[in-house]
Amino acid sequence: MTQIDLRRDWRRRLRLLPQAVVVYVLLAMLVIIMLGPYLYIFSSSFKETYTLISIPPQIIPEQLVWDNYTYILNELPFSLWFFNTILVAVLVTVGTVLIDALAAYAFAKKEFWGRDVLFGLMLATIMIPGALLLIPAFLITNWLGLLNSYGGLIIPALANVLGVFLLRQFMQTIPEELEHAARIDGCTDFGVFWRIILPLSAPALATLSIVVFTSQWNNLVWPLVVLNDKDLYTLPLGLALLRSEFQVNYGITSAAAFLSVVPLLIVFLFLQRYFLEGLTVGAVKG
Amino acid sequence: MTTSSEALQTTRERGGPFWGRAAVRRNLNAYAFILPFMVLFALFNIGPFFWALWLSLLRGDLVDQVKPFVGVQNYVSLTTDAITLKVFLNSLQYTVSVVPIAVVTALALAFLIGNKLVRFKDFYRAVVFFPLLASAAATAQIWSYILAPRYGVLTYLLGLVGVPEIYWLSDPEWALYGILLVEWWRGIGFHIILFLAAMLGVPEELHEAARIDGANAWQVATRVTIPLMRPVILFSVVMGTIWAFQLFDTVFVLTNGGPVHATATIVWYIYNHAFRYGQVGMAAAMGVVLLLIIMPISYVQMKVLGER
Repeated sequence: MTQIDLRRDWRRRLRLLPQAVVVYVLLAMLVIIMLGPYLYIFSSSFKETYTLISIPPQIIPEQLVWDNYTYILNELPFSLWFFNTILVAVLVTVGTVLIDALAAYAFAKKEFWGRDVLFGLMLATIMIPGALLLIPAFLITNWLGLLNSYGGLIIPALANVLGVFLLRQFMQTIPEELEHAARIDGCTDFGVFWRIILPLSAPALATLSIVVFTSQWNNLVWPLVVLNDKDLYTLPLGLALLRSEFQVNYGITSAAAFLSVVPLLIVFLFLQRYFLEGLTVGAVKG
Repeated sequence: MTTSSEALQTTRERGGPFWGRAAVRRNLNAYAFILPFMVLFALFNIGPFFWALWLSLLRGDLVDQVKPFVGVQNYVSLTTDAITLKVFLNSLQYTVSVVPIAVVTALALAFLIGNKLVRFKDFYRAVVFFPLLASAAATAQIWSYILAPRYGVLTYLLGLVGVPEIYWLSDPEWALYGILLVEWWRGIGFHIILFLAAMLGVPEELHEAARIDGANAWQVATRVTIPLMRPVILFSVVMGTIWAFQLFDTVFVLTNGGPVHATATIVWYIYNHAFRYGQVGMAAAMGVVLLLIIMPISYVQMKVLGER
């Protein structure tokens, strides 16, 4: 850079300085608004009972105690809820991805009678609000004898229409030559799906997995209607009923809420890309 | 490139009479792939849909084996019931408030993050995504403490700038806005990230051209950038509206419809009438009404997904 260029650059920067200050002040406020509530309940989860209701509120408690966490782990079935949530979310994710991928492969790559009608029907069901299906889905789950069980949480969640769309769209971009080549090498239909289509669809499978896992981790309504047994509760259900059924204070709800979010925060930090992609699938926010 | 064996294979697969053995086999083969999905789809989507329509014409509770047929009686009751009216008004008021607020603030924040002076845009994208990660139940618990009267931190902070104490969740005048505040925080990231992606996708030359023509920053934004973002804004409004009409989780945890039905929403009504009050028919009828509200809005979403 020549001397003149440098001077111009400095002048430009100086001219933009007021704007930059305003922009970064506003951004700092945004960060505080978005992260503040998390940080505040994190600090509150270490508060003693009486500091919880002190006026003015203590943003950072004077005295830190572990009582809320020990209460959660010893007096509440929190670790069971944690285990249930992981189990259900993992099984639903694996099952959904497999079932959706099988269907998506047929819709993307095969011609069969009634294909377009079926696909149109699936597309149309996107318009049905979940609350309308809640009662009959409950009655069917009851009829299958699955109420108050892991099966009742998992099986009704496995057929995900949006997942089929996402995967079908991706699979359509896989060149047909690859399939033909595999067939010539003696691959069966399932072999083509398992060895060619599935590995090549990995990015879409990852996105769908994240979407399904997140929505299962956070699902409240379905566990609420299906479960009775407190030991089968998932985290959202347990959290929702903490103050009404378990009569606990804000320190305990803070600790529980924080612990319930941590796993997803960690997954998010590593797999951010798939979370962002999954956003447009329209299923992240339940 | 097509080799001769490939061509042969293609002829064998695609050719042959419509009802020939090859065609039947090809079809059965494809059906095998969709079978697991279709069974579950029929059992938990299509079946429940028609059953729900039927239930809306019956009277009874969840455990009744025989539910008497009452025709459109449930729908008539919906129009005369005072609580129903309140529920509709709440859902409507909430939706027409939260959607414009969320979309406009998200647009402004997307412009803020999208500003050329801002480095590390990925960081801010992650920050606004964070609230989307928590379950509605966890978010509700977090905010019930923040919004608490007297010792709540928001009450304290607003007090510092002279705002009198607001009973966010227990004042019937304010409760719906308390819910709105929480839901805004929870959902705003969705809109921001969508807008940001669309905004950064607008070719820089268009901005340059507008600036050379003498447009200031505001004019570039309103006449070039935002018009080009129209499809994404539409998608955002549609999704926001669909979610707003189906608001339940946050209400269930924070206020359970109260105080005096100030936050009773359509889905809250459905849940309570089906699973608490033993009025499955009324709940199903309300579900059908919700369907009629959601369907035209959702049609746009379906179009967008179908086009992809």
